[in-house]
Amino acid sequence: MIAQNKLTVPGIIAKVFKWFFLIFFLMFMVLPLVWLIISAFKTNQEFNLKSPFSLPEVWQFVNFKNALTISNLPRMFLHSIIVAIATTALNLVVAAMSAFALSREKFRGNNLILTFLLSGVLIPIIALMVPIMKINNFLKLYDTLGALILTYTAINLPVSIFLIHGFMSTIPRELEESATIDGCTFLQRFTKIIFPLTKPGLVTAGTLVFIYCWNEFTYAMILTISEKARTIQLGIKYFQTEFFVDYTGMLAAIVITMLPTIIVYTFMHDRIISGMTAGAVKG
Amino acid sequence: MKKLVIAFLMLALVLSFTFAQSASESADKEIELKFVTWWTGADTKGPYVEQIVKAFNEEHAGKIHVTLEGTNDADGIFTQIMTQLGAGNPPDIFSVKPQADFYGYYDSNLLMDFAEDLKGDWGKQFAEGIVASTTINGATKSLPYEMAYVPIWYNMEILNAVGIEKVPETMEEFWAMCEKVTEAGYYATAQMTGGTNAWFSMLWYTSICGSLAGAGAFDNIKNDWATNPVYVQAAEILCKMVREYTTPDVIGATAAVANSHFKGGETAAYLNGPWWIGNLDAAAQEHTEMAFFPAINYKDVLIGSVQSNLAAANQKDPAKRAAVIEFLRYFTTAQNAQLVSNAGSVLAVKYEPLADSAKLNKDLQARINEASGFIPYWENCIGTADVVAEFGQALSAMIQGAITPAQFVAQIASVM
Amino acid sequence: MSRNLSAGKINRNWKGILLFLLPALVLYGLFFIYPIVTVVFTSFTDWMNFKSMNFVGFKNYINLFKNPTFLKAIRNNFIWAMVLAFVQVPIALSMALVLARKPKGWKLFRTVYFLPTVISGSALAMMWKAIYNPTNGVLNAILGLFGANQGINWLGDMDTALVAVLVQQVFYFGYFMVIIFASRLGIDDTMYEAAMIDGANTWQQEIHVTLPMLKPVLVTAITLAMAYGFRHFESTYLLTGGGPNHVTETMGTFLYTKLSSAKWAEGNSIGTTIILLGGIMISVIRSLLSRERAVKARKGGAA
Repeated sequence: MIAQNKLTVPGIIAKVFKWFFLIFFLMFMVLPLVWLIISAFKTNQEFNLKSPFSLPEVWQFVNFKNALTISNLPRMFLHSIIVAIATTALNLVVAAMSAFALSREKFRGNNLILTFLLSGVLIPIIALMVPIMKINNFLKLYDTLGALILTYTAINLPVSIFLIHGFMSTIPRELEESATIDGCTFLQRFTKIIFPLTKPGLVTAGTLVFIYCWNEFTYAMILTISEKARTIQLGIKYFQTEFFVDYTGMLAAIVITMLPTIIVYTFMHDRIISGMTAGAVKG
Repeated sequence: MKKLVIAFLMLALVLSFTFAQSASESADKEIELKFVTWWTGADTKGPYVEQIVKAFNEEHAGKIHVTLEGTNDADGIFTQIMTQLGAGNPPDIFSVKPQADFYGYYDSNLLMDFAEDLKGDWGKQFAEGIVASTTINGATKSLPYEMAYVPIWYNMEILNAVGIEKVPETMEEFWAMCEKVTEAGYYATAQMTGGTNAWFSMLWYTSICGSLAGAGAFDNIKNDWATNPVYVQAAEILCKMVREYTTPDVIGATAAVANSHFKGGETAAYLNGPWWIGNLDAAAQEHTEMAFFPAINYKDVLIGSVQSNLAAANQKDPAKRAAVIEFLRYFTTAQNAQLVSNAGSVLAVKYEPLADSAKLNKDLQARINEASGFIPYWENCIGTADVVAEFGQALSAMIQGAITPAQFVAQIASVM
Repeated sequence: MSRNLSAGKINRNWKGILLFLLPALVLYGLFFIYPIVTVVFTSFTDWMNFKSMNFVGFKNYINLFKNPTFLKAIRNNFIWAMVLAFVQVPIALSMALVLARKPKGWKLFRTVYFLPTVISGSALAMMWKAIYNPTNGVLNAILGLFGANQGINWLGDMDTALVAVLVQQVFYFGYFMVIIFASRLGIDDTMYEAAMIDGANTWQQEIHVTLPMLKPVLVTAITLAMAYGFRHFESTYLLTGGGPNHVTETMGTFLYTKLSSAKWAEGNSIGTTIILLGGIMISVIRSLLSRERAVKARKGGAA
């Protein structure tokens, strides 16, 4: 181990503090979720009026059955998967290509274009609702998965370029120089050397994009209207009509939409983290 | 390199899949119409609307085909329709709320104008004078569909328990009722400031104004909101109600919370429209009475407002336009309106009320017949969404004593 | 594609550069340039609904900055940016450093801390709205166990609302923690062993070994956190709608209200302001941080 804390009073206090916060945050993250799952088994009257600690009188499995059937959750789940994977792939490729051109080639205007692309991080996407709707109408993509894929790819470009560019900047130039001497072309430099070495950056950016696509709601709501393009977050809104909100049904739907990501994440997190860590210090 | 190729292939696959779906729909000679609405799925009107559309399609097979689109998420669908309007591309036919931001589009030529078409038999399908409420400067670019009549609902069990036999008819009786009921441990009125939507409290406010200044209280509201003392008087009464006689979770409460309190037998006075009657079982309906708001200066004024409208995109193609009108006429026949009223809705179309309607439906109809006048929703008269949102914001401040009723009115005025 | 065999010089491949930049620039053009140009341009008009547009100069901006609600919103956005960058990121940093020492069960903690990131923001907000409920919310119920339940309406009371909304976000530090953690694991153990031999305890090791090497990732995290703070919209909108009485209002929620009223020009002026203010703030912070880095580098070089 790296350092041993001597058994001094400050040492013990530090330890207590450390474990207090570790456990506190653990509770903070987990307990609300547990509460959410239990509440999903209640009826609406129970949920609205009774104590939050109370257990449901009768466990309403029907909430979950409704969540799965009423809103056609499986189909929307499939759509979300397609959108998330396609967007992540497209976004990473485009971002990596741009980051490569900008980090490896120091040409005039390089910094300008970079700042320009990165400033997208500041844009409040909600402000662009109407113009983006127009663009999708213009491209005849309204109410298709393509609308979501293209829009999400674009929205996530700034952050992806930001992260990937940061990683690429730390790759030593000598690698490329020697490769060029060996006769490597521009494209080969990218595909054989830089792209593979940027894996940590790609994994980091890719995780973020994937999560974004999965959780995104506003544009999914605006850009789709029919069953053929809806994604999973919209499933939650099935439990809300003009005059009535079926809260416990909604909670059941939320639990179901959370489960796949939690399961995938739990099994994949090791690979994700090691993907993020592989290689030298990156920033 | 391989990864790049795979990625592009996948993308091409997905895009072609999605493009293909949209392409396959054109080709027929049949006129395709898209009806975008939240009256589908789990919405109480859903099954009936679907039935109507299906019947229409059968009758007009090969000539006109209407596709229902949307989810029962009213807010979401409305936002989407408004965004499409903003982008200049409204759906063929759609349901919409009578809000100022929608009415603002009457000025554009995005919407179909029904004024001429209504001059014939079609106009007679609607209740007397109702179409005037969706007509601006002679243009009727939307049709009134669902109506909101909102009386006060009293839980007589609670009133009887504190020794009150009949519903309060004056403000003194009303405050006395509130006092007694609160002392006995109940909540006197159901209110909410819910984030940006203070719906119940706005309904109370409208009722108060109707009682203070009659059915025409809001006729000139856009001009005299800041100056007419009536609005401050009404605010004072509302202030007392929400500060002293309602549930502790009122600030930030949503409709569901207020509904649950009433349904759970905790609230004495409540208000909502006909659509909510179905939420009370027969036993609960037995001890619920629908009444007018206590009379201050005017008796028997009832909230009567358009709850939702029907509209259509302006069509240049005369055949398509005729098809839209054909569908809308069909949708608004007495027979179809009666069908939809099974959902508990009251409609702007003339129709025979159902024979076997619940006790409260009959109560409500009786109040509608007795009413001396109808006052529209405050939020439909005052202006755009930001002004309406300000009501809830200012209300939470007023409840906490941070501002006076006069300042309440002024704060809303500052956003107009 | 040209090749240059002279040692040490890579020939510029302009065709390649352009080709590689093209997809990004096209997507940008469609989804950022066009919308932003429209937004900025129309912010100088009086455009509403679908009415005709008239040029009105800076009127929208002047009205904005005279509007007390908007000023409250700006203040709140600053608070958000500062809290996320200088409270959430440091917490993420601390937990990352603690977990990097691999205490018992560190993998479990790391998994659980990242968990909320994969859950949608709206689901979390819904959850917390119910938790903060004054009559039967979990928070007051827990306080009740200690006899401290005063029935406070956390989201409805003007004094507590902003803090309540901030707390809901600030303790979900999982994403930043994982990024920092990844960088931290990349630091060679030998550096720590050397420090230990020099007699440094854990605390000193973190300050002299870890922090300097984490500088880049910290600057990244702080920049992203601040950008998010200036753009903040979703959780506040879902929890309080900007209320009560605008105490939690952000430029984002204010913008949304205006756009919902079809007041495009006004809304667009808010959007432009968000971009400008955010950009200025972030440039300022970044230059402060990089100046520090340059100074340190010079000192290090000289030493």
